[in-house]
Amino acid sequence: MTDSTPPVSRGVRALDVPARPRGAWKGPVIVVAVIAVTVVMCLPGIGIGVDLGAIARNWQNGADKIVQLLMPDWSFFPRTLPPLIETLQMAVIATAIGAAVSLPLSFWAARATNPNAPARIAVRGLLNVIRSVPDLLYAAILVAMVGVGALPGILALLLFNVGIIVKLVSEAIDTNDRGPLEAGRAVGATQAKINRTLALPDAWPAFANQTLYVFELNVRASTVLGLVGAGGMGLLIDAVRTFYRYDQLSLIILEILIVVIVIDLVSDAIRRRLV
Amino acid sequence: MPLRPWGSSKLSDLIRNVDVAAPAAASTPWSIRLDEVTVRYPNGTVGLNRVSLDIAAGEMVVVVGLSGSGKSTLIRTINGLVPVTSGTLDVGEHRVSGASPRTLRRLRGDIGMVFQGFNLAGRASVLQNVLVGRLAHTSLWRTLLGAYPDADRQLAYHALDRVGILQKLHSRASDLSGGQQQRVAIARALAQEPRIVLADEPVASLDPPTAHGVMNDLRRINRDLGITVLVNLHLLDLAREYGARMIGMRAGEVVYDGPATGATDADFESIYGRSLTPEDRLDA
Repeated sequence: MTDSTPPVSRGVRALDVPARPRGAWKGPVIVVAVIAVTVVMCLPGIGIGVDLGAIARNWQNGADKIVQLLMPDWSFFPRTLPPLIETLQMAVIATAIGAAVSLPLSFWAARATNPNAPARIAVRGLLNVIRSVPDLLYAAILVAMVGVGALPGILALLLFNVGIIVKLVSEAIDTNDRGPLEAGRAVGATQAKINRTLALPDAWPAFANQTLYVFELNVRASTVLGLVGAGGMGLLIDAVRTFYRYDQLSLIILEILIVVIVIDLVSDAIRRRLV
Repeated sequence: MPLRPWGSSKLSDLIRNVDVAAPAAASTPWSIRLDEVTVRYPNGTVGLNRVSLDIAAGEMVVVVGLSGSGKSTLIRTINGLVPVTSGTLDVGEHRVSGASPRTLRRLRGDIGMVFQGFNLAGRASVLQNVLVGRLAHTSLWRTLLGAYPDADRQLAYHALDRVGILQKLHSRASDLSGGQQQRVAIARALAQEPRIVLADEPVASLDPPTAHGVMNDLRRINRDLGITVLVNLHLLDLAREYGARMIGMRAGEVVYDGPATGATDADFESIYGRSLTPEDRLDA
């Protein structure tokens, strides 16, 4: 300490507290900027023109629909069963095949398990293309190609699943410890053998997690795919919606909710056992 | 620390009894020869600077030096994990420097390696981890199916028995203690039927009694099987106790080469380039 030491009071030296870092103002400014941009986007003329008055004038129009939704038509239940089962079948098939295809692709897409940069970039590029196309568009195109039914739905879900599982699992592989892989190189194993014996065991939890996750997504997505004729609950939803049967629609929504909750409970139990 | 009774467990006796063809005696160990070897990393760092060494087959050598001295590079260069920039490197009758990837894999199959961080697949069983040592000699389809030949399994059992943890055969690797995990790693190296065993700071993550246990394992591998063993250490008491020959490294160069027992504190100070501290000893 030099001679310019701060004055001492009651035997305690005043602390030399570091100054605030330069970037400290950024947080509040970013929040204000985000709010400002959102407001501007809602303005008529410049943005999308949110008219709050319209909500005030027209909300009654939707009220009777909400009332109908609150009173499900239970007698409709038998008719919902076959499409519900078809939805689950589509989800199971698409998830199983998608997971099987995704596992080797995940190792090709991860830096740690595929040192060959051109091959890795090719796999990743292809998957980026697959992921960037909406599943509804896949379904619409596939319905045109293979006809109305569950098959185009399954194929659309399959593409969707591979895109998601490979991305998330290959990222998990890259965050795993590389030590075991180095041990594999040190015993003279080829990359394929290293991936099978050393990378795969540590990738299992991520793979199981993502597979269970896309299964749940598939059950929900197959309700939408039916709107373009790709099988499952969606076909029925489209039908009852056309006839303004919101009481029947609410029963369908309730069934999907129950299925999703059951899947969530089951996958949680499986996950706890696997990890 | 009391020495474990080697291979006297009942389970191991049982396996020995059912064993039809006991593994053959250890294969001929390899020598290691470096001639003016320089290793320069892609970022320009020089790992080894014109190192010449002659290590005879069956020697027990400890390599000491501070971190960054090049002792880790030396070990990784010997099995080709780090490529030689200039100079020549031979193991046994085989040229490592400039070898093709395929040749390197074959050579690595005969060189066991033990790491500071054990480098086991934590979620796989002990047996699966030890069988990794057989990968260079197992076909791809057998590896993919996990269908290892019975002879390989026998090798794995014997390797685990030699380091005294055959009972843990079916445990998950991550459930074992640090010392047990390092023994599994040594068993993985033994399952290779190696001609050289390289160990890179094998006891740096272990507590003192466990460290002595693992060093004893490595010494027994050298004495009983005659395998050439090269161990990186930074603790001088361990180096003196377990090394027959000691090589000191600083800044990528060999600065000491002589018997380990005769190495004085002054020798270590000249290797480390500084005065000794209590951290330089395991049993301070």
